[in-house]
Amino acid sequence: MAEDSGGAKAVDKWFVRASPSYRCVVDPTHQISSLFGWVSVPSAAWIDENGRIVRSNEGTYPARTTIGFGLGKVRVGDDAFARATRDWIEKGPDSEHVWSYEELAEHLKPVDDELSLAEATFKLALHFEAVGDSERAWHHFTAAQHLAPDNWNYLRQGWTHKGTIYASLKVLRRTSYLRKNSDKSYYAPMGLPGEDHRRYTEPEWLWTPAARRIKQLLRR
Amino acid sequence: MIILANGKTHRVARRTEPAGALWVRMDELPRATGWQMKPEGACLGDLCVPLPGDKREEWIADADDWVWFCYSEFADRIGQKYVRDGDVWSLGSVPQVRQAGLESGLAPDFEVTERNGHTLRLSDLRGRKVVLFTWSSW
Repeated sequence: MAEDSGGAKAVDKWFVRASPSYRCVVDPTHQISSLFGWVSVPSAAWIDENGRIVRSNEGTYPARTTIGFGLGKVRVGDDAFARATRDWIEKGPDSEHVWSYEELAEHLKPVDDELSLAEATFKLALHFEAVGDSERAWHHFTAAQHLAPDNWNYLRQGWTHKGTIYASLKVLRRTSYLRKNSDKSYYAPMGLPGEDHRRYTEPEWLWTPAARRIKQLLRR
Repeated sequence: MIILANGKTHRVARRTEPAGALWVRMDELPRATGWQMKPEGACLGDLCVPLPGDKREEWIADADDWVWFCYSEFADRIGQKYVRDGDVWSLGSVPQVRQAGLESGLAPDFEVTERNGHTLRLSDLRGRKVVLFTWSSW
């Protein structure tokens, strides 16, 4: 499920590249994250044959992944979630990774009035973006971000309204700020065996030769 | 007038007066909000909320040759948040639905359009294991 206000146009090239054998959905209004209480991507849930959620995590990269950010790249994630998913598909309720009802209740995030208002405001922003009213879209994106400052989906989707370069710079600025001023970890550890948990605010940077050269020059 | 709810955009009729509240024509209420009026009250799936006796006349009105329901007053009563900009109203999640999900552990049902244009409801996949995975381009 691609959560992207740009719709199919924004995400189709990744679908094509993945040549998926599974069902693919574009969710331009972030309906799924709202329902499951996710504030970032990638996120995932396992739903059993009876419609019960038996696990729900954020930061569920299917493999070690490299994401480009300007002159550098960050390496995030590992294959712990994919391995656990295969185990659940094979063993069902006997998989050691299935959550009990109590564990699920512990993990599902409560939504207070402010977060509910943020959700409605974010959806208003997405609407104005879709109809091409950029000024009103930006106004409501900003309002939603103020109401729910920990919601990376609202932050990054909203910033993308101003362009991908603007969004990338904002992500770098915010992660840098959080690294210095907070112990927040937006991807909580999933609690899976072999997981190489790394705080989102402490990504592993892979600089391009050009960026390495610029860094060296700046150090002099 | 436009109502944004449950991931969809709904164009609905606007009551001429009064302008400050969200009035929804009763026949458009289920499509626009998911709620429908039944003898036991306003119902959303299995969830039914009785209308307070003293509010029934205030919240249900005949106007412009139609029967209207004051949805914003109802939303205030059930704690559902909403925000408005001009002719567009955006409704947040219904807190009782989310609470019911937390208590039952059941995945909330939803309807989305697949890349091939087909409509997919989560409940249509009952009897099979489902791995729900979100990602984005940004």
